[in-house]
Amino acid sequence: MPMSLFEIWLGILQGLGTTLTVTAYGLVFAVPFALVFGVAQYLTRGVARLLVTGVIEFWRSSAVIILLFVFYYALPVVGVTLSALTVSAMVLGLNAGGYASQAVRAGLQAIPAGQKEAGAALGLSRPAILFLIELPQALIAMSPTFVNTLIQLVKATALVSLVTLTDMTFRAKEIAQVEYNPVAIYTALLLAFFVVCYPIALAGRWLEARVAAPGSRSSGV
Amino acid sequence: MSTQSQSIVDIQGLNKWYGALHVLNDIDLAVASGACVVVCGPSGSGKSTLIRCINGLGSYQTGTLRLAGTTLGLNASETAAARRQTGMVFQSFNLFPHLTVLSNCTLALRRVAGQSRAEAEDIAMAHLEKVRIPEKAKSYPGQLSGGQQQRVAIARALCLNPRLMLFDEPTSALDPEMIKEVLDVMVALARDGMTMICVTHEMGFAREVADQVVFMDGGSIVDHAPVRDFFGPSGHPRSRLFLNTVLKH
Amino acid sequence: MGFDLAFALSSVPTILGAIGTTLGVAFVSCLGAAALGFLFDMLRRIGGVVGLAIGFVIDFIRSTPVLAWLYFLYFVLPFYGIRLGSLTVGVLGLSLYYSGYLAEVFKAGIDAIPKGQSEAARALSLSRRDALIYVIAPQMLRNIAAPLGNYFVSILKATPYLAVLAVPEMLGRAFDIASETYRYTEPLVVAGLIFLVLALVISHGVKRLERRLLAVGAR
Repeated sequence: MPMSLFEIWLGILQGLGTTLTVTAYGLVFAVPFALVFGVAQYLTRGVARLLVTGVIEFWRSSAVIILLFVFYYALPVVGVTLSALTVSAMVLGLNAGGYASQAVRAGLQAIPAGQKEAGAALGLSRPAILFLIELPQALIAMSPTFVNTLIQLVKATALVSLVTLTDMTFRAKEIAQVEYNPVAIYTALLLAFFVVCYPIALAGRWLEARVAAPGSRSSGV
Repeated sequence: MSTQSQSIVDIQGLNKWYGALHVLNDIDLAVASGACVVVCGPSGSGKSTLIRCINGLGSYQTGTLRLAGTTLGLNASETAAARRQTGMVFQSFNLFPHLTVLSNCTLALRRVAGQSRAEAEDIAMAHLEKVRIPEKAKSYPGQLSGGQQQRVAIARALCLNPRLMLFDEPTSALDPEMIKEVLDVMVALARDGMTMICVTHEMGFAREVADQVVFMDGGSIVDHAPVRDFFGPSGHPRSRLFLNTVLKH
Repeated sequence: MGFDLAFALSSVPTILGAIGTTLGVAFVSCLGAAALGFLFDMLRRIGGVVGLAIGFVIDFIRSTPVLAWLYFLYFVLPFYGIRLGSLTVGVLGLSLYYSGYLAEVFKAGIDAIPKGQSEAARALSLSRRDALIYVIAPQMLRNIAAPLGNYFVSILKATPYLAVLAVPEMLGRAFDIASETYRYTEPLVVAGLIFLVLALVISHGVKRLERRLLAVGAR
């Protein structure tokens, strides 16, 4: 008996756990990378900045699908054995982190110099100025960009189906092997991702409207 | 009747609403050829809306507006032909940033008047000389100061040889030190006999060259008087109150 | 085993041989995405039900992965009797997916033109057509040039997705070598490096273009 559209959808949603796990695990890589390398690119000069930029550009400007395959196939060759889940989370996370690091850096650069000077005039140390004055403002201002990067990360998890993880995309292909109903299966797959990503996009839009409000809190600090 | 036939602008019973907001309320105004009329009033009084109706950039709901003998809004091609008799200068200059100063001036000459590049450039250069900025012909608007940009905008508007020049707060966006260079150009233009309607708060300019001053408030013309009476002791009390606040700064 | 540099170098010509396919796919997809994105933005500007519907289509595209769109087109079109080569399907998929992003690029590029520009064109008696050609379009093109260039790089980096449809682009070539030799690392690293260099070089060009446009464009 052929599966109903609803059954197909439920079958695909069995992969939702993997999709969300890779996303969450990816954030474990993405968030620290974005913060550390974004701040480092902002603070360093000369050779140090070149090195920081090099690492960021490697993760950001590479084709993420190739990065995934390279690390999946090459790490065991050099003696590093990681699970497919860890490799996927690392590659997708650091790729997203590379994008987010640019938002962190741009957010820090966009803060008027007067903020740093005001902090120094109050006798704050350089780290205190960074953590108490600059970073909070930069992260709030760039929060809509981070939300967009999160959506990109969720969508990029579809790639893990290519390295044998049973995410929603993998489930769709499994179902397609026992059921010839491509229209229902791939429509359901698109809908499944839409249901996950669209609320995030709406939240991002809400954030953007709030952040863009005139007289944002930077003037009050 | 005889004054009307010489009027380049003749407005009778003009009304305009934005939804429930009555932005122009029974406006009557005639402007004779060669006259210089200054329109002033607090912000939101409808003066910019009125001047935009005069060349058809803005629409109105009731009343009649005749420009150079054509009733605007009846017929699209007649309205367009009448608009061609006018030039307009905006508060924010509105120069085309991707074109050089010279190309800003020649665009309408070539596309609307159908002139050759050489003819158009000759005319444009003559007007750029008139506003004393010919040396910037090859510059882009972004490379000019605000005062220079506004003078270019005046030259651009003059290129089509208009019979009527409309100025919509031409100096409001300028730094104080640049206002004079623009006003000087406008004074020279008025002395040349150009018909002008100027929305401006520059009362010195009004005193120097205006024939009449129109004071608007709340969408209505409150006071319309020859310039001597407007500034004199017999002026309308509402105008005098406004003058006091304007002249203080 | 380790990394065999000589083997890696020997795989370079085979992989680079597909660079034309990769760049061609990226270029045509970018054109397709731009055309479709422009159409979406124009339809959205109609407003009303059409505008809302198009806005939803754009949101839907942006909320779904490109890989899912490639599978969708690859398996669904034949179901309706539409048989296209995998290259065509790939280009269609990339065009469709990125049109959702380019619609926003056009929106931003057009909305950034001040209202005074078309008003000034009207005050100068330019026809609607002339205003569009000589005043609006040049400013729109200047506004979208840099973001369009950046999306070209994104599309370029998405072309290896077409390997899953067996399109013979650079990643596909790398897998061909890998499956013949059972050595995956070297050809994949080579393909990855070629993409990285391409992306960095083109991004650098876009940045220079952006700086030049900014220099002339200051208002």
